[in-house]
Amino acid sequence: MSDGIASDPRRSEIEELLPFYANGRIGEADRKRVEAALAGDADLAARLVIIRDDLAETVLLNESLGAASPRALDRLMAGIAAEPRPAPLLERAKGGVFGWFGGLLAAQPPRRLAYAGAFALALIVLQGAAITGLALRDGSGFQTASAPGSRPSERYVLLSFAPEAKAGEIAAFFKRYDASVVDGPRANGFFKVRVGDASLTQAQVDAIAARMKADRGIVSFVAASP
Amino acid sequence: MHTESDEDLVKRIASGDRLAMKVLFSRHQVRVYRFVLRLVRDETLAEDVISDVFMDLWRQADRFEARSSVATWLLAIARNKAWSLLRKRRDAELDEDYASTIEDESDGPEVVLQKQDKGLAIRACLERLSAEHREVVDLVYYHETSLEEVARIVGIPENTVKTRLFHARKKLGEMLKAAGIDRGWP
Repeated sequence: MSDGIASDPRRSEIEELLPFYANGRIGEADRKRVEAALAGDADLAARLVIIRDDLAETVLLNESLGAASPRALDRLMAGIAAEPRPAPLLERAKGGVFGWFGGLLAAQPPRRLAYAGAFALALIVLQGAAITGLALRDGSGFQTASAPGSRPSERYVLLSFAPEAKAGEIAAFFKRYDASVVDGPRANGFFKVRVGDASLTQAQVDAIAARMKADRGIVSFVAASP
Repeated sequence: MHTESDEDLVKRIASGDRLAMKVLFSRHQVRVYRFVLRLVRDETLAEDVISDVFMDLWRQADRFEARSSVATWLLAIARNKAWSLLRKRRDAELDEDYASTIEDESDGPEVVLQKQDKGLAIRACLERLSAEHREVVDLVYYHETSLEEVARIVGIPENTVKTRLFHARKKLGEMLKAAGIDRGWP
């Protein structure tokens, strides 16, 4: 089959921009050019559908890869600990305020320095205890920005909404499935949506995704997500 | 919740702040790990690579220039380290195109097609792309990078990025077609 797009440099140039149009990382001027071309070119529009399919599956494939074990961070921190290095700030301060402070310390008798050190240590311990207490009382802990709200005890789907979906329909959709957005929209328009807790089996999550897929006017893509 | 920008964290890391290092690691390690794992296809090796990537960040933080984002910088370091590993494999006289032909434990596209799942078939073909094609597809489709960022990470001109991505997409379509899924192109 001949490729009418490849043989036309103008269409070919637009076609090569489609992946960046699909992932949302395209400049405003190029975005307008692509949209103008798509409006009157069914072949280009069909190519975009293929790209969106591939994009969705690439996201699912990568999301299924999990994360590194704690060993990676342990190895990194061990490497850092084993690598003594002067702090650049201290280096830059040589001869400045740190130099003056160093001179001041050197001029003090040992007993006074020992008392000052003990006082500083006690202050650090008190601060540490106060910060730890606050952290425990808060209870929220640290969450990575790469997976906000994600907890392995829950079940998710990845979805994108149909361009024609209305706000009211989307709200009703979430209510119907007792679902909630935990991440998104990403630049490519996808949302990570919680559909239940860990008691759901993979088959049940797949079934929910299949039912969601049937809502054609509301969602354009749905798949179970790790 | 941590709202400090990546750039501010890098500044703290440059002054020797280990807590900032842990925060930045937590923020980016998942995506960097997945990017590397898709290239080297070995979980232990991928973990070693990401430790080394962040170790480089620790050593070079005071040289970071905000011309690119921290995420782009990390992916570029990760990419270099992953390809260095792949090249060592070749040097060890393993298959010339080890990365693209390595045996995959998942079902092939023909098998998953028999199971009537087009999505699975596409994913099976994505697994079988060459490492060069996989990296541009992942960067654009999963890591949501711009044309300029891919060029910076991979170290090639922007036009080459477009051409490489085009050929990766075409190859994917050809593999699917061979497996019985004709999407009208190529």
